[in-house]
Amino acid sequence: MRVLLVEDEQRLAENIVAALRETGLAVDHAADGEAGSLLAEQGIYDAIVLDLMLPGKSGQRVLQDLRRRKLHTPVLILTAQESKESIVNLLNAGADDYLSKPFDLGELLARIKALIRRAKGVSTPVLAVSDLELNTVQQTVRRRGQVLDLSPTEYRILEYLIHRPRAVVSQQELLEHLYDFDWEHHSNVIEAHISNLRRKLNLAGTEPLIETLRHRGYRLREEAGSQ
Amino acid sequence: MKSSASVSITRRLVVTVLILELLSAAALIAAITVHEWSVQLEIFDTSLVATAESLMGAVQDTEDEGDNVMLDMRGVRLAKDAVFRVEDAGDRVLGSAGEPPHLETTASGAPLFRNIRVSGRDYRFIVLNGTRIVDPGKANGGVRHSIAIIYGTPLRHVWHEVREAVRFFAIATAFLLGITAALMAWLVRKGLSPVHELAHEAERIGPGDWQFHAPESAKKTSELRPLAAALEAALARLQRSFEQQKRFTSDAAHELKTDVAIVKSSLQLLSMRKRTLDEYGQGLALSLEDIARLESTVEKMLTLAQLEQPAGSYNSSAAFQTCSLRDVIADAVHQSKPFAQLKSIEVAVEINANTDVRLPIDSRDALLLCSNILLNALQHSPDGGTVRMAVTADDDTARLTVRDQGEGISDEDRDHVFEPFYRGDPSRSRKSGGTGLGLSICKAICERAGGSIKIANDALGGAVVTVGLPAKVVASSTLSASLKAE
Repeated sequence: MRVLLVEDEQRLAENIVAALRETGLAVDHAADGEAGSLLAEQGIYDAIVLDLMLPGKSGQRVLQDLRRRKLHTPVLILTAQESKESIVNLLNAGADDYLSKPFDLGELLARIKALIRRAKGVSTPVLAVSDLELNTVQQTVRRRGQVLDLSPTEYRILEYLIHRPRAVVSQQELLEHLYDFDWEHHSNVIEAHISNLRRKLNLAGTEPLIETLRHRGYRLREEAGSQ
Repeated sequence: MKSSASVSITRRLVVTVLILELLSAAALIAAITVHEWSVQLEIFDTSLVATAESLMGAVQDTEDEGDNVMLDMRGVRLAKDAVFRVEDAGDRVLGSAGEPPHLETTASGAPLFRNIRVSGRDYRFIVLNGTRIVDPGKANGGVRHSIAIIYGTPLRHVWHEVREAVRFFAIATAFLLGITAALMAWLVRKGLSPVHELAHEAERIGPGDWQFHAPESAKKTSELRPLAAALEAALARLQRSFEQQKRFTSDAAHELKTDVAIVKSSLQLLSMRKRTLDEYGQGLALSLEDIARLESTVEKMLTLAQLEQPAGSYNSSAAFQTCSLRDVIADAVHQSKPFAQLKSIEVAVEINANTDVRLPIDSRDALLLCSNILLNALQHSPDGGTVRMAVTADDDTARLTVRDQGEGISDEDRDHVFEPFYRGDPSRSRKSGGTGLGLSICKAICERAGGSIKIANDALGGAVVTVGLPAKVVASSTLSASLKAE
């Protein structure tokens, strides 16, 4: 999952970026409203964390422009002014959640995850596809009750796929949603991770959970393994 | 309104007008009394004369042979209670009624009037001297009889007439007074209604609603116009300063919350999972930096708040302190050296070496002023540029100018740049601009010292900050001499 942080306060941004990356999210950071707007409108983010008082372009306008372009990326607003009116205005303008500064970093992470989840039509932190179970809080994966040992990238690929069951996810999409601009990425990296992941998920006598569709991408099969 | 000390303009006006009316009514009644009296008396006298003359006419020749006369009362009508006496020259009484007094007669023969009290009543008498000629047709021209007539009637009638007239006027006046009082009260109340409307409008003003528009009626009333205008202006000023305060509070809260958010997130990030000793060390160092920033924000806010306190309550000894502008500038340049070197900016100071300028400010405040302005100039200078500080002074003012070679200042920023937390170009944000309190603090220091601070664009590009302060110019030689003396 890839998150955009638009925050002009350098130190605060550093901390939030570090925390988000530690929980396994890819994060891009924009230090002003214009850059934030530009990045947000590419539509490659699973959630956006938006500060209100931004140089260049206010957070409110970034949000309005985003919604005007019919982009439904969940947006969490960070604000230091917490008059009821402005919060109501923000929610009406298309914000999905807000946190007042000074906020709790843990709460911010939990809220971002909940926003991503809900945007993908999932309401609990534990996702299950047939006998596969993925806990987004503990970041653990079980198959038939057995804990699988996945690398962080493998976990993130699986997490993304499990949020979109039955859909075909292209390599490009995976790249966009799993890596931020700070990371070097090549499509063959994805291939390598996928093949590792597939190997770790496989149990003897079952069909592979992850299908590869030539030139189109990958798909998580829902009915896989049911005998 | 119930307080005994309260004064009602309505009541005062009505009472004043009524008293004036009453006084003039009294004067009028007095005048009427005098006039009526004289008119009635004239009528009275005329009737006295008429009756006396008809009495004179009633003196007839007697039927006997002699030339005697007698009074023939037929055809003479006397007033009620009238008294009279008709005498001839020999004091022979020809006829009388009642007891008229004896009165001197005049020689001239003109009628004489007298007021005399007879048996307990006021009478007015006429004394008429006349001559009756008996048998005027005879050769000797008839016999002349000098006749004196004293005739009087009670004055009561005159009194009565006068009293009636006075009573009529008194009643009419009282009636008019009553009508006037009611009309006045109504008119004055109506006339004062703009005052009530103004008060009603002013009553609505509260902490939440500073809007005040004087009602049209008050604006149209020439006596109320200054009050309405003053109220409007005062409230507008109050509203402005109130809003400024509110903005300051909200900006300050924003600033502090942001700083606290940084500290909090730094520590929470550190405690998200177990880390190595090195990582903890680095994290703590960063957190300390974040706390230092929070501390400096708080400190600046407190400095500004203290500087904005009314003079006297802050640093009361400062009033007697002075400092040398040259020393202060040297300190400021020294302090900002690391930052200037970082951006390779040269700081050039032009100051007359032979004189020194003493400022009536606490040296710490003066240093804060100079270093804030210098820091601001450094922040807005391009790398490798020059910042020029110059001091000029005349008898009682010193002028410090600080020029940078930056991008200058826009007209919009110039109006707000001294407001707390104002950051000219929003894209500069906190990274370069600090908290946005530096120039506000400068302004507060200047204003406290009775000076001024301005920012403008230099003709050569860049911005120039000009500070004017009251100062005393001291020649350096005398200064050193006095130092030696100490």
